[in-house]
Amino acid sequence: MTATYDALVVGAGVAGIRSALDLAGTGQKVALIDHSPHLGGLLVQLDKQFPTDNCGMCKMLPLTERESSSQFCMRKGLFHSNIDILLSTRLESLEGDPGQFHAVLRKHASFVDPTRCIGCGKCAEVCPVEVKSEFNAGLEARGAAHLPVPQAIPNHYVVDLDNCVRCWRCYDACPTKAIDFKFAERESFNILVADPDPQTTADLAEWLKKQKFPIEGPVDGNSVLERAAEGKDVRLLILDMSLSDVSPERVLSRCLELNARLPVILTGTPEQAEAARLLEQGALAFVEKPLDRAKFVPWLDKLYMRIVSDEIIEIDAAAVVLAGGFSCYDPSEVADVLGYGRSPGVVTSLELERLVSSTGPKGRGLLRPDGRPARRIAWLQCVGSRDLKKKADFCSSICCMISIKEANMVRRLTAEQEGGPAETTIFSMDLRVFGKPFQSYLDEAKASGTRFIRSRIHSIIPDPADPGAVRVEYLDDAGVLQVESFDLFVLGVGARPPAGMNELARAAGIETNEWGFCKTMPFEPARTSRLGVFAAGSFSGPRDISESLVMADAAALGASRLVNIYAPLRERRPQPEPEFRDVTRERPRVFVAVCSSCPMVESRLDTDALTRRLRAMSGVTGVALVDRACTSQGWDRIIDKAREVDPNRVVIGACMPYAYVPRLHELGKALNLNPALMDVCDVATLTALGGDDGEGTDSEVFSRLRMSVAKLLGADPRPTAQARPASPVALVAGGGLAGLTAALAVADHGYEVHLVEEREELGGLAMNIRRTLDGEDPVKHVELLIDQAGKHPNIRIHTDSRVALHLGRAGRFFSVVNTPDGPVPVEHGAAVLATGGVESKLYEWGFRVHKNVMTQQELEQRLADGTVDTAGLNAVAMIQCWRSRDEERNYCSRVCCQQAVKNVLELKRRRPELPVFVFYRDIMTYGFMEHFYTEARRTGAQFIRFSPDNPPAMEHRDGKTIVSAFDPVLGRNVEVHADLLALASGIEPADHSEIAEMFGVEMDEHGFLKEAEYKWRPVASTKYGVFVCGLAKGPANMEESIAQAQAAAQRAVRMLHEKHLASGAVVAEVRHSLCSLCGKCIEVCPYEARRLSPTMDKIQVDELLCQGCGSCAAVCPNSATILRGYSDRQVLSVIDAALEETV
Amino acid sequence: MEEFEPTIVAFVCNWCTYTAADLAGTARMVQSPNVRLVRMMCTGMVDPKYVIKALLSGADAVLISGCHPGDCHYINGNYKARRRVKLLSEILTTVGLDPRRLKLTWIGASEGNEFAETVNELVRDIKALGPSEAASLGAM
Repeated sequence: MTATYDALVVGAGVAGIRSALDLAGTGQKVALIDHSPHLGGLLVQLDKQFPTDNCGMCKMLPLTERESSSQFCMRKGLFHSNIDILLSTRLESLEGDPGQFHAVLRKHASFVDPTRCIGCGKCAEVCPVEVKSEFNAGLEARGAAHLPVPQAIPNHYVVDLDNCVRCWRCYDACPTKAIDFKFAERESFNILVADPDPQTTADLAEWLKKQKFPIEGPVDGNSVLERAAEGKDVRLLILDMSLSDVSPERVLSRCLELNARLPVILTGTPEQAEAARLLEQGALAFVEKPLDRAKFVPWLDKLYMRIVSDEIIEIDAAAVVLAGGFSCYDPSEVADVLGYGRSPGVVTSLELERLVSSTGPKGRGLLRPDGRPARRIAWLQCVGSRDLKKKADFCSSICCMISIKEANMVRRLTAEQEGGPAETTIFSMDLRVFGKPFQSYLDEAKASGTRFIRSRIHSIIPDPADPGAVRVEYLDDAGVLQVESFDLFVLGVGARPPAGMNELARAAGIETNEWGFCKTMPFEPARTSRLGVFAAGSFSGPRDISESLVMADAAALGASRLVNIYAPLRERRPQPEPEFRDVTRERPRVFVAVCSSCPMVESRLDTDALTRRLRAMSGVTGVALVDRACTSQGWDRIIDKAREVDPNRVVIGACMPYAYVPRLHELGKALNLNPALMDVCDVATLTALGGDDGEGTDSEVFSRLRMSVAKLLGADPRPTAQARPASPVALVAGGGLAGLTAALAVADHGYEVHLVEEREELGGLAMNIRRTLDGEDPVKHVELLIDQAGKHPNIRIHTDSRVALHLGRAGRFFSVVNTPDGPVPVEHGAAVLATGGVESKLYEWGFRVHKNVMTQQELEQRLADGTVDTAGLNAVAMIQCWRSRDEERNYCSRVCCQQAVKNVLELKRRRPELPVFVFYRDIMTYGFMEHFYTEARRTGAQFIRFSPDNPPAMEHRDGKTIVSAFDPVLGRNVEVHADLLALASGIEPADHSEIAEMFGVEMDEHGFLKEAEYKWRPVASTKYGVFVCGLAKGPANMEESIAQAQAAAQRAVRMLHEKHLASGAVVAEVRHSLCSLCGKCIEVCPYEARRLSPTMDKIQVDELLCQGCGSCAAVCPNSATILRGYSDRQVLSVIDAALEETV
Repeated sequence: MEEFEPTIVAFVCNWCTYTAADLAGTARMVQSPNVRLVRMMCTGMVDPKYVIKALLSGADAVLISGCHPGDCHYINGNYKARRRVKLLSEILTTVGLDPRRLKLTWIGASEGNEFAETVNELVRDIKALGPSEAASLGAM
């Protein structure tokens, strides 16, 4: 049967998860697949992220409808009622058109039945294989039977068949018979041999005797065809290329016609060139003759296990999001110069992440190869990035920040070592700190002691004076050769397309760009070359988390727009809201089910005594011991027993409580009981059973169960309140590129949009740009958007208008827009602020005094309109970072370097011999823009770096500007007599103070609108329900602004979609009779979910905004505020239960 | 005489430290059996009366542990806990309880070993300190 989804998301790293959550949050059914056996992609290996040096992944989880998704650390896992997660699954093919794709997925068998595996680890203990552990970046060995990541829940072992030696020890060791190598099924796996040489069949029959495969043959081509036509049960065909009566090609094509999935193995001599063609036509493999028994038998047996164990899943989906991520460059190919793989002191940045991680390789830590603490650690940037020889003419965008973060982590980790934190040094060409908070992050790193040296080190060699250390040589800024020795040298490895990119691109039918990443469309950063297929995260180019999430939101928006268009054509299953019975007036009846089969508990627990003690507890009406509660059979038994008891509270004692959360919803439906009145209590893991002696296990387990029972006895049984519906209208402030994009995106989902623009014309800053770096025409694009917005039935445009009043909360805002025709009241559920930025102009350095001094943007315009004639120029100078990245405006404006490169290329296109000099601090051509920088340097333009403490000096004489500066490459001062000086003026925020105050959003220290969280909630403002995008949020180029606008629209749509925005089960309430209106809870609430009622006699809680953090309850002096699920009564009785025995 | 085994009540936040505790548990890091974990949504909701209650009802120590500063799932709950614990420690001295019986730490989700170490260390310290003074205060 083919399952039907709204969207298929390929890749379950942060971007894929984000897209899936986005789509699920707007009510769409999503299939989320990943080729690896765990969720989280690369992030599971990274404990901390820049620029917060924290994790924060859980901040991605939805804030509304919290009950439909998991509410725990995302490193453990994820569930959402609208998302089906398929791990170890690859996309095999994607047919069909937007709205009705048909995808074939292959789920690779793990050979461990997850419903039986109890995670005891016996299989891994006995496995004789040792291969590099992916999780610990190869720094540790793992077996073929292994746990992919330590912290996932549920956490099942898997067998990696490729590395398996078929010793079957894990099979014998498994206490629950969870491992299945399909031994019995071999006897019915018919192998047909079509080989004129009878010896082959005889050999195979002899070799495979032990496995008991039925082997038939030798047969000729005609009999193969006959058998195929008759539908004989052939499971595998071995087809020799020397078959003479019928051509092997004909046999193959006919067999595949009749059974498209028939595995066909070709045999023959390597000279038989047509084998390659047959492989393309669908043959599974080609094996050279003569067959080598030692190789062929294990290979065939493994192939058999794959064939019978792998699962083919077919699904229909309206749209597809590809979030394949990226992989890290493998520096082994430069081992001879950089020493990677030769000197153990040379590691990659990913390996360093593992070395400093708590879950890193055992016994490694931050040590030199000889075991002494590493005290001098250096990083080398651009290993495998910005390197023409390695076909990597792009910047990986993230490595500079990763290295700074790693230096911070190292310094923190070693802070208490003798002699203080380890010395940290970063060698780089440019420091690409182009994100809004990155410059201050760099400044802090410098202040904390990390050294930054400009050098692309040529080679890293073992230090002859200190074995175990490595030595490098470099020229310092004064041109003096320096020799330094380091204990660890970290290679800041660049990004590469993900492993298996070609296969994925082929399966999904998308094109790749010249660097192998997914190709996207101009002004549609999330669109791939195939309609209906979108790219999220860093699949279309290296990006940090923040931007990956923006791209994930944009991709999700693209997909949901499409789903929306095709929705009327698709059958939608209505999902009735479960209604739970009201148990308010019933006495508590607690049913306790304890899983009894876990070997960790089984051997140590006196189950009879436990049952007796539990039954004796007041309020407990039923106790059941259930065999293997984690399996579906076990679960069914729990449901059956619960039905007998008819409880109104349920406690389940098992291992890994997180794994049960989705099942509680099932149980809730089965018992008609609110899952908020159920609890899963961990009786196996955590602190209890760490020791070898099982003493105290009984009382420990009982005590835990007692705590859970106590908590549920005090639980408030009243049904959770339903929150009100959201107004299905959005307000978009700002009619530039970002505002227009966001308005159209929201309007396409069927919601009404009010687009408010201060000026008389829509279009904003983008109308001043003539060409993008890629050669696209932005004005044409914006004009198209203006036209579409004007004609859109759902969009109301208010130009020459301002928002004059804004009140209310997410889902229910009320604003007044002052238009030339008078005030317009708008009730709306969400707001998008795209109020833009400005090109900053500082009147110094001769700007506006001398005619030949202009901003880079003016130069672009004047080149376009002809008011600057290149024929009359003798030399052009450009100065970058004019007041960007300094004390006043301590951020990189991002777009200026792109603008400079664009102008250089245009000048050089017109007059190749014209001397152009660019004075810069760091050229920020991140990502694929690097390639234009390379091109600009190829044209002969001189790029001269200056340091901020020694900026270029200027003198204006006879209509010329003389720029003098120190050139670190030449090691002396240079003087440029320029006819024209272009200044990179940078981006400044527009004056947002009024709008920020009105909408209640915060501004950052630069005056841009602040994100709720830079990393994980990049387009949310600090006020719930108000989203920010474009230049209002920070400097961004056009593609980035568009992606942000789409992301903001996605968030807005998520908010508007809900007819009934449901709050979570853990939510605060006020007992008004106890409340003294002191207002402490209003101040303390981090979500502004509380306010004094308009009648001034009550504190009101907005259930939608309340996230259940409990700050209010802790601060309330009268215990008038209660957090559902954590009331004082409950917590105090849990404490009592915890301590009962010790009193 | 049997060795004194302290009982510790640990209020851990749902997002970070509970995950770390879980990781420590599944990785079978050896720990004291006498730690009672009470999962809270956030350290910011640990009311001082819960701490006092635990100490007066027989706990020899209370551990509060949540996300690292700046990493709170609820924006700033851990800062609230930090302020509260500072004040509470002073109050403990006044009522005659050793302030070392209340410990606040930040343990991130992937720091299972840190959780194990923290607990083991606390158990060691409290063993040295002896049973809670609460009994002699006549509180029970």
